[in-house]
Order: sequence, then C-alpha cells, then structure tokens
Amino acid sequence: MATEETGDQLGQTTRLRLQKLKGQLFEVSLVAATLVGILALLVLFAYISVDAFRPGAASPVWFLAYFGTLVAPMAAFTLYARRKPAVQETNARAFAAVFGGLLLSVVMYAVIDSLSPYDVFTYVFFASIPPALVLTYDRTTDDRTYTGPAIPVSIIVGLGVAAVLYDFVRGPIGIAAEWIMYFGLVTVPAALLVARLTASRRGRRTGAIAGGAVAAGGLAVALASIVAGIDASLPVVLFSGSVVPTSYVVWRSVRTNPEGRVGVVGPFVLIGGTLLGASLVEGFGIDNPDTFLTPNLLLQSWDGLTASNAGVYPQIVGSIVVVGFMAVLAFPVGIGAAIYLEEYAPSSGWGGRLATLLEVNISNLAGVPSVVYGLLGLALFRRTLGFGTGIVVSAAGTLGLLILPIVIVSTQEALRSVPDDLRQGSYGMGASRWQTLREVVLPEAIPGTLTGTILALARAIGETAPLVIIAVATTTYSPPSGLFSSATALPLQIFAASANAKPEFRHGVVPAAAVVLLVLMLLMNATAIVIRNKYGRGN
Amino acid sequence: MSKESETGIGSLQRSGFVVRKERLYARLIAASAVLTILVTVGIILALSGRAFSFWSEISPVTFFTGTSWSPVIAQSYGVLPLISGTLIVTVFSALIALPVGLAAAIYLSEYASDTARSILKPALEILAGVPTVIYGYMALVYVTPLIDSVLPLSAQVIPPGVPVLPEFTIVMPSLRTFNALSASFVVGIMIIPMVSSISEDALSAVPDSLRQAGYGLGSTKFDVSTKIVVPSATSGIVASYVLALSRAIGETMAVTMAMGMSPQMPYFPNVLKNLAESGQTITAAMVQIAGADSLGSGPTYEAMFALGMTLFVITLTMNVLAELVRRRFREEY
Amino acid sequence: MSEPDTSPKVQTTIETGDEEPRDAPLNTKETIIETRDLDVYYGEEQALDDVSMEIYEHDVTALIGPSGCGKSTFLRCINRMNDLIDSCRVEGDVEFGGKNVYDDDVDPVALRRKIGIVFQKPNPFPKSVRENVGYGLKIQGYEGDVDERVEESLKSAALWDEVKDQLDSSGLDLSGGQQQRLCIARAIAPDPEVILMDEPTSALDPVAASKIEDLIDDLAEQYTVIIVTHNMQQAARISDRTAVFLTGGDLVEYDETQKIFENPEHQRVEDYITGKFG
Repeated sequence: MATEETGDQLGQTTRLRLQKLKGQLFEVSLVAATLVGILALLVLFAYISVDAFRPGAASPVWFLAYFGTLVAPMAAFTLYARRKPAVQETNARAFAAVFGGLLLSVVMYAVIDSLSPYDVFTYVFFASIPPALVLTYDRTTDDRTYTGPAIPVSIIVGLGVAAVLYDFVRGPIGIAAEWIMYFGLVTVPAALLVARLTASRRGRRTGAIAGGAVAAGGLAVALASIVAGIDASLPVVLFSGSVVPTSYVVWRSVRTNPEGRVGVVGPFVLIGGTLLGASLVEGFGIDNPDTFLTPNLLLQSWDGLTASNAGVYPQIVGSIVVVGFMAVLAFPVGIGAAIYLEEYAPSSGWGGRLATLLEVNISNLAGVPSVVYGLLGLALFRRTLGFGTGIVVSAAGTLGLLILPIVIVSTQEALRSVPDDLRQGSYGMGASRWQTLREVVLPEAIPGTLTGTILALARAIGETAPLVIIAVATTTYSPPSGLFSSATALPLQIFAASANAKPEFRHGVVPAAAVVLLVLMLLMNATAIVIRNKYGRGN
Repeated sequence: MSKESETGIGSLQRSGFVVRKERLYARLIAASAVLTILVTVGIILALSGRAFSFWSEISPVTFFTGTSWSPVIAQSYGVLPLISGTLIVTVFSALIALPVGLAAAIYLSEYASDTARSILKPALEILAGVPTVIYGYMALVYVTPLIDSVLPLSAQVIPPGVPVLPEFTIVMPSLRTFNALSASFVVGIMIIPMVSSISEDALSAVPDSLRQAGYGLGSTKFDVSTKIVVPSATSGIVASYVLALSRAIGETMAVTMAMGMSPQMPYFPNVLKNLAESGQTITAAMVQIAGADSLGSGPTYEAMFALGMTLFVITLTMNVLAELVRRRFREEY
Repeated sequence: MSEPDTSPKVQTTIETGDEEPRDAPLNTKETIIETRDLDVYYGEEQALDDVSMEIYEHDVTALIGPSGCGKSTFLRCINRMNDLIDSCRVEGDVEFGGKNVYDDDVDPVALRRKIGIVFQKPNPFPKSVRENVGYGLKIQGYEGDVDERVEESLKSAALWDEVKDQLDSSGLDLSGGQQQRLCIARAIAPDPEVILMDEPTSALDPVAASKIEDLIDDLAEQYTVIIVTHNMQQAARISDRTAVFLTGGDLVEYDETQKIFENPEHQRVEDYITGKFG
C-alpha cells in the first residue's frame, strides 16, 4: 500500500476527515439535545431549592460545621464501601429500613390521627377478625378449597358488621386510651410480621419469642411515656414502625452477613452527623440559613398573611389520604384488566375483537387530557351519585380513573415479560389458568407491576387540574377526617398560593411547599427505579 | 405404585366448586377490563349531555367562530381566542420538544453506551414526571424574569436605506408577567420524554441488518443514523410527534399559571408579540370557570363542558391518528 | 443410583432393539391411548391428517419424522395442550382409558394431571427445587407427605444424590441436564399415568442426554412414555414402538421399533430412516 502520494488518495483522506468531523459534531449536538431538557430542569430545581432553603443567610462556619460532621464522614463511608458489594447491599437495606420505617410510621400516625384512631381501629378490627378465622380454619383442616374466595367475602362481611354495630361498639372502644388504638393498629401487626419472619428462618418458638418481645417493647414504651407525662401514641407508633424494623435489619445483617455488616452504619452516620452538626451550630450560636423548610411548614396549616406561620400539614395528609384511597380503588381494577388482556383474552373470534377494542380504548384513555377526567368526576360523583363537593371519595375516584390506563399498561408489560415457557410448564402439570396465574405468573410479575403502580402514584400525587375542576378545597385547616369529608391536596395549595405576590411567599413558602411535593414525587420515582434495577435484570 | 387398570383411569373432572370458583374469578377479571370501556362511555356521556345543552342555547356557529371569550362578564362565548392560545403554546413548545426529543432518541438508540442510557433514560422520564403545577410555578416565577432580562430585542432584517424595500425590523418585546413564551418553554420541556421515548422505541425497532447493510457500503455512523435508521422509523417518529402535540394541547396547570387568563386573538404580522403577551388556552378557560364560585348551572358552567368536548374530540382524533400511523410502522418489520 | 457405567450411547450406526424385550410380550399389553381419525388444523392449515394409532401401557413409544411433520402436534393433542392455542381445531377421537378426552365432560386441567409433559427446553419455575417438584402436588391439593413424595420423585428422576443438599436453592441454579431431570421429577411427582416428552434431550449435551435416555428406560416400569424425537438413534435405543410421521401430518408407519428400523413396509419410511430424505 505505497500509494499515499497519489493526489486521489489524499483527496479521499481529506474528505474522510471532514466526514469524521461532521459525525463528531452531530454526536456532540445529540448529546447536547439529550442534556438540554435535563439541565434546564436542574437549573429550575436549583432556583426553587435556593428560594426554599435560603443558604445565603448562613455563615460560612455553618457550612464548615456540617461539612465536618456530615459531608466528610458520609463521603468517607461511601468511599470505603465503594468496592464492597456486600457492604453496599447492607447499607441500602439499612437505609431503606431506617428511613422507610421512619417515613412509614410518621405517615401512619398522621393518617390515623386525622381519620380518628378509634374509628380506624373499629373498622380494622372488624375487618381482620373474620379472615383470621378463615385462615385458622385453613390451617387446622388443610382444606384450601374455600379459602381464596372466603377471605375477601369475610373482609366485606366484617366491614358490614362494623358499620352496623358502629354505634354500639364505638362507645365502649372510646373508653380505652388513644395509644391502645395505635398499639392495636401498628404494634400488633409489626409483632405478627416479626414473628412470622423469624419463624420462617429460625423456627416457631423463636418466632413467638420475637413477636412477644416486640409487643412487650411497645407496652414498655407506652408505660414509659405515660410515666414521663407525654402522650404515648406517637412514641408507640415510632417504636413499632421505625425502631422495630431498624433493629430487625441491623440484627439480621450483623448475624448473618459478616462481610457486609459494616454497611448498617450508613444511616447512623447520616443521622449522627446531622445531630452533631445541629448541636454544634446551636452550641456556638452559628447563623443558620433563613430556610422556609421548617417544622412549621410541615406541621402547621396555611396562613396567607404571615409566611413564617404558613404550613401545609393538612394538604400533605390530604394528598396521602386521597392517593392512598385512590390506590385501593384503582389498582385492583387496573391489575385485573391487565390480567384479562394478557392472560385470559382470546386472540380470535368475538373475544379477540373485544380484546382489540379494549386495547385501543385503553391507549386512547391514556391520551385524554387530565382536565377532561375532572369533568367526568364532576358528572359522575356530583351529578350522578350526588356526593358533596370536593370530598375524598370523589377526588380519589377521579384520580383513580385518570391513572387506570397507566396501571393497566405497566402491568401488561410486567405480565408480558414472564416467559411463556413457565406458563406452558404449569399448564402441563395440570394447573388451571387461575393456579398458573397465582403460583407462577404473578410472583414473577410483581416487581414490574410494583414499579408501574408506584409511578402511577407519583403521577397522581402531583395531579392538579382534575382536582381543580371537581372543586376540591385548596386551603383547609385540618386534614380530611373521613372518606366523605372534604379533601385537599398539596399541589392545589401551590396553585392557589402562586397568585400571592408577597416576596416571602413567592420566593419562600411556596417554593418550600414545591420542594416538599418534588421530594415526595422523586422518592417514589427513585423507589420505582431501584425496584426495576434490582429485579429487572433477571428478565 | 402399582397401577391396576381395573378402575380405569379415574375421573377426568375437577370438583364443581373449584371450576365455578375459577369461572367467577375469570368473570371478575373480565369485568374490570370491560370497566375501561365504561370509562370512555362515561366521558362521552358526561361531556355530551351538558355540551349539547350548551350548544342548544348558544349556537355552535357562534361558539366556533366567535372572536371574543368572556363568559362571566360579557356572556360572549367565542372559542377562537382560546384555540389561538392553545395553538400558540402547542406550536412553540413543539419547536422546542420535537427536534430536541428526536435528537435525544437518536442519541439513546444509536450512540449512547449502556451506562449512559441507563442514567439518561430515567432522567428524561423525570421531565414528564414533575407535577405540572410545579412547572407552572417555575415558569411564572423563574423563567419569565430570566428570559425578560435580555428583552426587548430587535433585529433589523432590512436596514434603512435599502432602495425599493421598506425598512423592516423584527422586535421581540418585553414579556408580560403572564406570557406565552415561558409557558411554551416549560410545556416543551415536559413533552420531550414523550417524543424521545416513543421515537427511541421506533428507532430501536429498525432491524440491525439495515444498519449492517449501510456500514457494509462504507457509510459513516452519521450517514447510517440519518439516512437509513431515521427514515425507516419515520412513522414511529411521526406518531410520537402527534402524541406529544396532543399532550401539549391538553396541558392545563402550567399554561394556566404561566400564561394567564386573558384570551387574545393572535397578533399579526409580528408573530413574536404573541409570545410576549398573555393569553388563555382552552384548558385554562375550563380551570377559570371551575374556580369561579357559585356555579353549578347556567350557560357558563355548561360552556366548560363544551370546551371539554372540543378538547376531547381534538385529542382523541390526534391519538387515533398516532395509533394508525404507529400500526403501519409495526407492520413494516 | 441409576448411573450405569455402560453408557457408550453416542453411536454412529443405528442400533436396533438389542435391549431385551420387557417382561411381557408387546402384543399382550393393554391399550391406554387410542386415536381415531385425528385431524388437527391451525387456522386453515392442516397439521395432522387422519391419524389413528394405539399406544400401549408401559411402552416407550417414539414419534419420529422430519420437522413440521406434526409429531409434536400429535403429542400435544393427547393432553390437550393444544387447547391453549386459539387457532387450533381438533377433529376425531383421542381415547384415554376408553374415554374420549375431547368429550364435553372432560376437564383438560384434570386430564393433564393424568398425562404429564416434559418440554424441549428445560423450564423449571423460578422457585426452589423442592417447590418445583412439589408444584403438581400443591395445585392438586395432595394430602400426603409432600417432602417424602418430593424425595421419591427426585430419586426416580436420578437427581436426588445431586440436589439433596440444595433442595431450597433455586431450580434455575442447576445445570441444563439437571434442570431437565428436575422437570421430569416435577412431572412424575403427582404420579400421572402417561408422560409425554417433546424432544427432551435436544437442548442438552450428549452426556446429559444419555442420562435422560437411561432414565426414560426406568420410567417405563411405572409409566407409559410417549416421546417425540428428531434423533433416530435415540428412538431406536429407547423405544418399544415407533411411529413415523412424514410431511403433511401423515402417520405413515407405526410398528415395533425393531421392525421399523430393520424392515419397514413403506419405501418412504426406509428412505427417511436411511437418511435419503428429511
């Protein structure tokens, strides 16, 4: 190949070089385009966070203090765990247990508190006794034929009985102290769960002891609080929903995972660092940032005049109640519809035509603007069913209809990813369609379904337009007290307050409320992504 | 395990209860699927009842040709200003989202490494996941002042002193507090993932053999991407565009908060003025009516359903169109 | 346990029925499955054409033929796995113990509990070994000692010694050959009458395949085995009777294996067996 000197060849290389340059420019512009939206959003997030957090007012020493107590130790720990998968795994689990448990207990307390612990206890008690009896029958007689249908039926019967007997029962139950309700609602299930988990690994006796220990701990916490003269409810919930899972995970990791046991330290480095930093800042009188992300914001109700008093507690709890009840309404229907389309629907004949119609219909529903769902909710719940304006049931129902297509489509994808081999194998063993679904297909599809449903929840919690249309109240001073009481939601407050031109609102409380909403939504998205990455690789 | 055939092979049936139980489950599951049809029927009934009662009072001709929308004060129900507002937002958000989304799709499908894709895809999805009320707030409070800081701008297309031609200058005026530009900007950002994810699916569905053929002929990656892959995926890309536009048309909170509540007919010839001024979209008008107290009947309340019906028909048509285009592309391979 | 060291199974010449005939002469065995005028269509396309044959208890019956000849379709008709394909239509009778399995009062689910099936690709469930083998027992509401039955089945499938210490680890962690034996153990755990095998060794390496072949031999003591294979040596080695399907879903010849391989009646069968076509 000694032809370099021919002009012909030389011309080609120049052209090739030009082509290469063009290709590189193209690739750079593609990268830029991919990043531009993300970067724009990040800039806006930065603005909103700076307004909410106001780091400008803090003295440099403040940053130094937290850097020393929080950032540096966390960075050191992350660096240490970088190449140790076992440690990272334990670390992730510890984080999930500590902060998941904390979040869960706070949410449970707030929701039960707003709905009245006595009412919740009455209904939960009556709804859980009949299925417990059914399960006991199943255990003792080994007769499983009726268990499946009996459980939902017995729950409904239990709820019905509770509704009928409510007036008689509510009085006597009301005599008991409030913390006993929380003990029954949170500590007892936690104790049963711990007992079951332990029993499955270390035998029945140990399980019973562990469960008993949890219950005893709950009682001890309640007693201690009473002696100390504080309301025992919140301590009981925090103990059962947060301390118990944390100690369970820590104990298990330390015992069974010698390689990764260091990982449990992670969340405690974070908590300890924060506390230490806070005490330093407090002790030396260092200037804090002038933040609007205060306990007031999270625990007070709205105040349109004084920014430092304005809070979104009713709206946060309202959003959780509405979205939670929406999940109860929409998920069974959505998952059922997806199961029908993927597992039951025939592919030919009339049934096949129906299935095609359903598919097309669902993809169209997904494209209907959310305001239109608001009009549907208005017509359905207010006109047709005659419900009051903007109550929890209507709000949850409207949002439920809105997210139905999302739930269906994502569940369908999850079901479709289950290999057909497994279904064939199950049918070949003489399993019916239902048994195949329950034993083989659904267990495999759970992670995918979970991802989709969490994303649907995240979508619902930020949804505003349909709630405006069905006239859900923006500013209420207490969270909803029941399914038929008036609803409220966090995004509505942001919408309403955006008109407030006072700078401490415009560049203070409202961005802080927006940060709360964003954190909720990003947490959900992150959970969904973590589940997808953890379980998605197998498929 | 002796198998005496004297009793034959036993029953080839299952317990009647089990069969009935499973049939019941199957019916419940099928019922939840059929419920989705009822949702559509419900939407159509809910909208059409009130909408037609509105159109029996205010003639559809007045409604669709009227150039003034002032339901509460002047009782005038001309929808054209609202359609104009919706179109302005849709067009300008499309100017941002369609090229950017397609470029992102090409990058993710043809260029990005697996690691890059696994980070960028969820990050792009977040753009569509941020609550629109937050987009609206950000547009109102941050985007508008940010853009306005460089305005007004003017560019002389034809300088003075050119013979025959008149002097001509394009002017981008300062922004109002509520304006279409920042609304279009955030709507554009939020619909990027719609374009990028559906287009990426279409691009990834292009069989590798086509790419191999291109490389075999000595094409560069640029040529393969732009001259082979993108043309092969045209229908999927078009479908993603149509769906994204439909999403922009139906977007509510961001445009309500950032663009305001003052319906306007479009400005000519300086198109840019439309961006700087406030306006009102169909969706924003619905929010305004719903937000006004003491309603529940009367033509204004019913006008909300008429607007909803208009919106529903527009978006449904676009979705069906996109689905048809997409069907075609599925059949190609 | 059933690991005979006499396994020079990879042969190049066709070895015909040199294994001694089983306890009873073939012609005195009872019929367990009989098909009459069986036609199967997938949509418009005919997959089986007028197939009539009798299958005898405790026989190993091999179905051979070129690909697309309908042998798998025939196999799947027997336990109505074809019901799961919407476009599939079956005409004619398949009698199992004297009862037409396509009668209205036959529940295909109950039928498959009597006639198990092992597939071409090993498809253990993503569950533990124990749960895999116990699956059939669980769905049928077995009331005896499940663990005991699991152990028996794993022993019958010559897998017990290899997995007895990892009963609670996932079935997917086993090797391909072990997975297939796990699937066989899973199929025999509920104690069916007949086991259908659809090319059970074609996805396996020769050593793993020969283990399965030995196993099939043992299984015939207790069960009736019907096996689809594209490997003629395999059919010759393990089966008592062989059915040859040729293109178009035609059952051309069905006889004792020895006869098919040594002295077939039809020229087409001989051509196929000697490799002149197919």
